[in-house]
Amino acid sequence: MSKSTRGFGFGRRSGTVTVIEQKALRSSARNARIAFIITALIVGILAMTVASDHMHPILAGLLAIPIALVAGAFVWIMFRIWPVLRLIWWWLPEISAGMALVYGWIALANATPALVTLAIMAPLVGIPAAVPAIRRRVIALGWCFIVRHRLRVCFSQFIIANKSGSLPLILWARPTPVGERVWVYLRPGLSLSRLQNRLEEIAVTCHAKSVLVELASESEKAAYLRFDIKRREVLTAKVSSPLPGVIDTENMPFAYTAPTDVPTALDLPDVPAEPPLAAAGKSTASPNGKKQGKAAPAADTFDDDPWD
Amino acid sequence: MSIIARDPLGTDRVPVAPGLSMFDPMFIGIDEFGHHVTLDTVYHNLLVAGEPGGGKSGLINLAAAHAALSDNTRLVLLDAKYVELGPWRDIADAFIGNDIEAAISVLKRLLIVATNRYMWLLVHRRRKVDRDDNLSTIVTIIDELAMFSTVLGTKEQREEFATLLRGLVSLGRACGMPVIAATQRPSWDIIPASLRDLFGYRAAFRCTTNGSSDVILGAGWADLGYSATDIDPENRGAAWLLAEGRLPYRIKAAYLSDTDIYNIADYAAWMRRPSGITVPAPSTTIQWEMAA
Repeated sequence: MSKSTRGFGFGRRSGTVTVIEQKALRSSARNARIAFIITALIVGILAMTVASDHMHPILAGLLAIPIALVAGAFVWIMFRIWPVLRLIWWWLPEISAGMALVYGWIALANATPALVTLAIMAPLVGIPAAVPAIRRRVIALGWCFIVRHRLRVCFSQFIIANKSGSLPLILWARPTPVGERVWVYLRPGLSLSRLQNRLEEIAVTCHAKSVLVELASESEKAAYLRFDIKRREVLTAKVSSPLPGVIDTENMPFAYTAPTDVPTALDLPDVPAEPPLAAAGKSTASPNGKKQGKAAPAADTFDDDPWD
Repeated sequence: MSIIARDPLGTDRVPVAPGLSMFDPMFIGIDEFGHHVTLDTVYHNLLVAGEPGGGKSGLINLAAAHAALSDNTRLVLLDAKYVELGPWRDIADAFIGNDIEAAISVLKRLLIVATNRYMWLLVHRRRKVDRDDNLSTIVTIIDELAMFSTVLGTKEQREEFATLLRGLVSLGRACGMPVIAATQRPSWDIIPASLRDLFGYRAAFRCTTNGSSDVILGAGWADLGYSATDIDPENRGAAWLLAEGRLPYRIKAAYLSDTDIYNIADYAAWMRRPSGITVPAPSTTIQWEMAA
């Protein structure tokens, strides 16, 4: 959309930058003309109706003409510069940040001596760079801005939605532990399932590992979607439970005393192969409910073993 | 690396306190976007399954710890392996090891309580228990369900156990008596599909085959790409969670070390003792002696 056709060779320097493509320009000119006519008509009729209450209808008509022309011209200009306005709107955070940086720096440098300037700038830049939590936050926020532009590239370059080429509304973005989450409101021509088929391309465009698209909420409209852009894996991390943090083991008067009747037969030789007395004693069911009487006399049949 | 926070600055924490209730959301881990996964365990039954060493017992211990620290909550524990749920035996109303008769008996008692609670609800012109009713939540946790349904006791006892359990799982949901069961593979011989499908929450830890994964989550999920075979065996605690009304999603269960478990158990025992809410289970050491 913002393709530059500036010539860099000697003698071919035209000095013009094409911000809007030719096709879009034609469509914009036609739309602007129609908007001018419609606005001028409606405003003119309204102005004449209102004015005719106070003056002669012919005078009201004469008054309405300049009002209609001014309103129509305003709308015409808005339509013609709309692509540029949209571009400025898209890059507004970056433009504002850049302006603030340049003007802030110039103002600071002019108002204070060099050493003071440095003394102010060093912590301003140094602390966010040095403190990992702030640095991560700043980088995460930076990615939020980047990813909104990258998503727009996806929509304008390879997810062609409709004839007029209107792009989905890319709403806000916020960092998540794995990447970013962006909310998008679709324009006519796109759907959740169409986007779900292009997830790999979107991931490539967003410099991400994978992307997931879901409805922003079950009860919301089908056009309101949520993009989850994944750059890192969190499922391999060790997750702690908050429960150990809420117990106070220091002031707990409870002390564990091990029971004395712990089983001592902890190895195989400790348990005799055939406990005749125990088998006789336990004529009733064992803890697992099975009759033990059947299993125990295995040794009795040993004499009849054909291998003996 | 340890994650218990929602965002990179770690501002949001899990709401948890010694005055916890089972009606509070139970934190069990994070999803693949690092967000907390919480379960509403009072009104849902949870089935946990997967390979040995996948992290099943970690999850049921987390549930037991939450229940142990919760106010007005009773624990009924069935663990044929003793050690998985053993730390909580002092605060459990019933702790059953490998005694299927005792298991059947306690399930019968639970069913009577469930029926009585429904009669109580009917009288009060209501359809389900809520937090303000002041009825205790009775959490039944079963580890190694397969031991009770295929190994211990006689065939009749095992069938009776399965029938009673099905009754509890289907009745307990709305009267504050949830069931949390863990098993290695809930195939039809271990847990009938009619019983399995009553579990609203299902967590599938690592499985070796798509069939096993489908057995846990439900038929057809593996074909759609939701298969627990793709979980890295080294990544313990990773699972697919199927919660009601959603597609299965990946989670990583939070981990409690043995020390944490015993500390929480001791704390819960100390916290509960003066209130007299629970009657500690009889010592199981007599059974150990017989087993030895």
